Amino acid sequence: MKCQNTASFLHSCSTVVGTVALLALVAGCADKPPSSDAEARAEYDRANDPIEPWNRNVYKANDYFDKAVVKPAAERYRDYVPEVVRTHVSDFLFNLRSPIIFANDVLQADPDKAYATMGRFMINSTIGLAGILDVAGKDIPRHDNDLGETLGIWGVGEGPYLVLPLLGPSNPRDAFGLGVESYADPVGRYASNMGYDWTNYIRDVMSGVTRRSENLDNLDEIERTSVDPYSTIRSLYRQYRQSLIEGKPTADKPRPGLAGEFPDTLELSQGAN
Amino acid sequence: MISRRFVMGAALFIASSLCLSFPSHADLDPQPAKDMVSKLSKQAIEVMTSKGIQDVDRIEKFRTLFISSVDLPVISRFVLGRHWKIATPDQQQDFMKLFEDMLVYTWAVRFKEANDQITVQVSGAKPDADQGVIVESAILRENQEPVPVLWRLRQSDSGFRIIDLLIEGTSMIVTYREEYASVINQNGGNINGLLDLLRKKVGIMAQDEIASQKASAAGKAN
Repeated sequence: MKCQNTASFLHSCSTVVGTVALLALVAGCADKPPSSDAEARAEYDRANDPIEPWNRNVYKANDYFDKAVVKPAAERYRDYVPEVVRTHVSDFLFNLRSPIIFANDVLQADPDKAYATMGRFMINSTIGLAGILDVAGKDIPRHDNDLGETLGIWGVGEGPYLVLPLLGPSNPRDAFGLGVESYADPVGRYASNMGYDWTNYIRDVMSGVTRRSENLDNLDEIERTSVDPYSTIRSLYRQYRQSLIEGKPTADKPRPGLAGEFPDTLELSQGAN
Repeated sequence: MISRRFVMGAALFIASSLCLSFPSHADLDPQPAKDMVSKLSKQAIEVMTSKGIQDVDRIEKFRTLFISSVDLPVISRFVLGRHWKIATPDQQQDFMKLFEDMLVYTWAVRFKEANDQITVQVSGAKPDADQGVIVESAILRENQEPVPVLWRLRQSDSGFRIIDLLIEGTSMIVTYREEYASVINQNGGNINGLLDLLRKKVGIMAQDEIASQKASAAGKAN
């Protein structure tokens, strides 16, 4: 059961975060501005990326691998596999995540979400032919959930930004969540115990390819418009994760979470002078 | 010009300090901001997708619309943050111009690809705590889940202007600020590195735009 696939190899080995931190020390940390320069220090703290040089190297390696292997595979998948089939594959993979999602709904003490996940899982796994059809989707919209989010809701901070090999943007909290999930996932455990370890590899590869194919346009758009995709992705990831934990912004609560990240009148009017 | 800015700044400051004691901004009528967002998104899609406009004129029409709806000076200052104060007036001007181009080419293409199968449905508007209005909307596309978008507007001397967009919990201006700060710091705090990169990027985006227009014109001719 140990290290049954790449994802769990990276995460369930709990030393990974420590190792990365150690390697980052060797690779060098970002220069921290002196506390006398308050504005520079504030900017440094906002980026929340003390091991930036190391992260950038992992990002470069990921980007290289993406351009060489993952992106071409995702493009072919999108261009050659009919949309109907892709939808069924995506629904099937999502249904397999249901036990994990359900556990997190419960841990977040959210009975509405937990009922929704349970209902969807029971309907789709039976009438929906093992999840290939999202029959329940018409009445019960899907939602995702994960342990990083749960820990965030419990008050665990994100920690420093971390780019994981192959998996991309993360942080110690979310990486820990991923590791625990891939270790505890009942579907993966069942397959492994039955001697079908290979299905877990296929599941991981297919999840990666579908996820990348669904994000082809978004990532192309970042490449088209950003002069530094690394920091754009870092900012987007952190704001998005925070918004999941604090709840989506609305007109009553527009701030995207990260304290002090949003300009107030004073800051803007000072800039205007 | 400087004195006018000073007066405006002073007026803003007085207005904001008044608001601290009297929550008078609650009287701010959000309806004009709501109408503006509705109208703007319709016009933008129309300009970028309608037939019978010369392709060269299209982008300039979009630019005019864009400049009259977005508070570019305020956004530019926010996005450069502490580096704005260090920059020389020439660098500030250069940045404002390049950032305008960046936003125009970014959004012109997004509205063009919207391709009139998309509608922006404005659902509500509320005054925020900072003399502004938050407009709630959703981008509706066929067979896809609606994407909620919040528009943040502020009252300027010529009506409401957009200062931010919040999509999927992410703020556009916060993201730009992090991106540009990161580039400036990679260049040892020198803003010229960012200006060069922006110049190059905007050049490529403009070229791609022309190329795609030529390609679509050739496609129509065939």
